[in-house]
Amino acid sequence: MKYNVVGYFLSEGFRNVFKNKKSTFSCLGVMCATMLMFGLFFAIGQNITHMVENIEDSQAIRVFANIDTSEEDLERMKAEIESIEGVEPGIKLVTPEEAYNEMKERLGDKQDAMDILEPSIFSYSYVITLSDLDLNDSIQEQIMKLDNIKRITSSNQTIRALSVIGKWVRIVTGVLLAILIVISIFIISNTIKLTVHARRKEISIMKYVGATNSFVRTPFVIEGVIIGIMSSVISLLFVGGAYNWCANRMRLSETIQTIGVNILSFNELFAQIIMVYVILGVGIGIIGSAISMRKYLDV
Amino acid sequence: MIEFKNVSKIYSTGTEAVHGATFVIEKGDFAFLVGQSGSGKSTLIKLILKEEEPTEGTIIINGKDTTFLKPSRVPYLRRSMGVVFQDFRLLPDKTVYDNVAFAMNIVKAAPRHIRRQVPMVLSLVGLSSKAKAYPEELSGGEQQRVALARALVNNPSMIIADEPTGNLDPETAWEIMTLLNEINLRGTTVVIATHAKDIVDAMKKRVIEIEKGIIIRDDRKGGYSK
Ligand SMILES: Nc1ncnc2c1ncn2[C@@H]1O[C@H](COP(=O)(O)OP(=O)(O)OP(=O)(O)O)[C@@H](O)[C@H]1O
Ligand SMILES: [Mg+2]
Repeated sequence: MKYNVVGYFLSEGFRNVFKNKKSTFSCLGVMCATMLMFGLFFAIGQNITHMVENIEDSQAIRVFANIDTSEEDLERMKAEIESIEGVEPGIKLVTPEEAYNEMKERLGDKQDAMDILEPSIFSYSYVITLSDLDLNDSIQEQIMKLDNIKRITSSNQTIRALSVIGKWVRIVTGVLLAILIVISIFIISNTIKLTVHARRKEISIMKYVGATNSFVRTPFVIEGVIIGIMSSVISLLFVGGAYNWCANRMRLSETIQTIGVNILSFNELFAQIIMVYVILGVGIGIIGSAISMRKYLDV
Repeated sequence: MIEFKNVSKIYSTGTEAVHGATFVIEKGDFAFLVGQSGSGKSTLIKLILKEEEPTEGTIIINGKDTTFLKPSRVPYLRRSMGVVFQDFRLLPDKTVYDNVAFAMNIVKAAPRHIRRQVPMVLSLVGLSSKAKAYPEELSGGEQQRVALARALVNNPSMIIADEPTGNLDPETAWEIMTLLNEINLRGTTVVIATHAKDIVDAMKKRVIEIEKGIIIRDDRKGGYSK
């Protein structure tokens, strides 16, 4: 007997989904847009958080030399840097090969991607430890004045910048998500309103024969939930595909490599994204259908 | 049993459709509700079904005061009443059998029970041979008999009908009224709002007449008019 009722709800729910193909479709569109938007910002935010954590491990400055700097010049650079006040003596040279291998390690199971790269595109760099972190800015200024300096990266600066960016990404994600959720609920409730309207006669008969509100409502809630789950699946495929594509491309970019960013794999984001998608899909489906039903249950 | 105690209904538009209605319809009664168009018959029916709330007064159904009935309990109240309307209200995309079974499905009856009960009520209204037909393939009288089967299938203690013969020719109207009388003889309370003068006069049943919202006559074995 229980099975019979569940079967009835499911078959009615699916019938509703396919009854109004056009509005179901537009509904899917909006919900997917919401979820994709969330996926995008979430992925960026998580990567930034991850970077900040990574960089915080090493409170160091890294000085990159121009690619064609000679060994003599490198030696001189080392002496000059070590003579600056606040720099711990014995600064460490990182060769292009080492930089290359470092990069390779960071890529983990994506190491093959490095095969097309030559170690020679990486430059020599020095890892500098500071005896006094407050001198960070002035030390960087002095190093910049030296010859053959390509770039300096400083964890402190990067961390600060990234923390700020990360914070903003989270705020924008939150606001966007809120707006998109409201729009999604509006659209889904309109979609369900169409099926409810198309079946109002049936609903009024049900009410006269003594169907409870929850019995009348359930197929429409299921309609909303089905649309929500469909959107989740579509969005997950899109976000996963797009993320992997972008992440692979970025791992190969020189800028990303030299800053020493480790891009997360999609597997590490998967669990959280799918959880949010399911909650969004089911939640929006339920709220949207509940809103659309109110008027018609009043018989 | 239906008991109205000094019931008034003023619609939000300001129309007072029922004023101070007091009457009792006992279990097993057969009562006609008569009166001119706009006199308040349908409003009385809607009050019984708790589709409308009384502005004043008390309505007791089967011994239970429904005035403060929680909305969530209304479906259970309705399961004790079978409802029939002038326009049949069948679902066009369902067969006769499914239209009737539908009423059992939504009260979550067991499939075994449905398979036994539906053919029984269809034979009661004389439509066993049309079980697989769709409503549009039936005459008006047959459609109303399907509606009657649907109203009966959950074994209600009363049948409430608002102009059940309004869309039917006189002969077919007689068929339906005769059927309602048979149902009444099996113990079901029957309340019918109607304009069918000849039938009311011929059947010599209880007649409650309403005029401009006020009950002006309540006769045992009465006629359509005084
Ligand atoms: N939902 C409503 N809102 C406002 N006024 C209403 C509503 N329903 C009915 N009325 C008014 O209440 C009065 C009684 O209407 P009702 O439908 O009860 O009459 P009736 O006796 O059933 O008439 P008929 O024989 O034509 O069916 C009428 O004046 C009508 O206009
Ligand atoms: Mg009426």
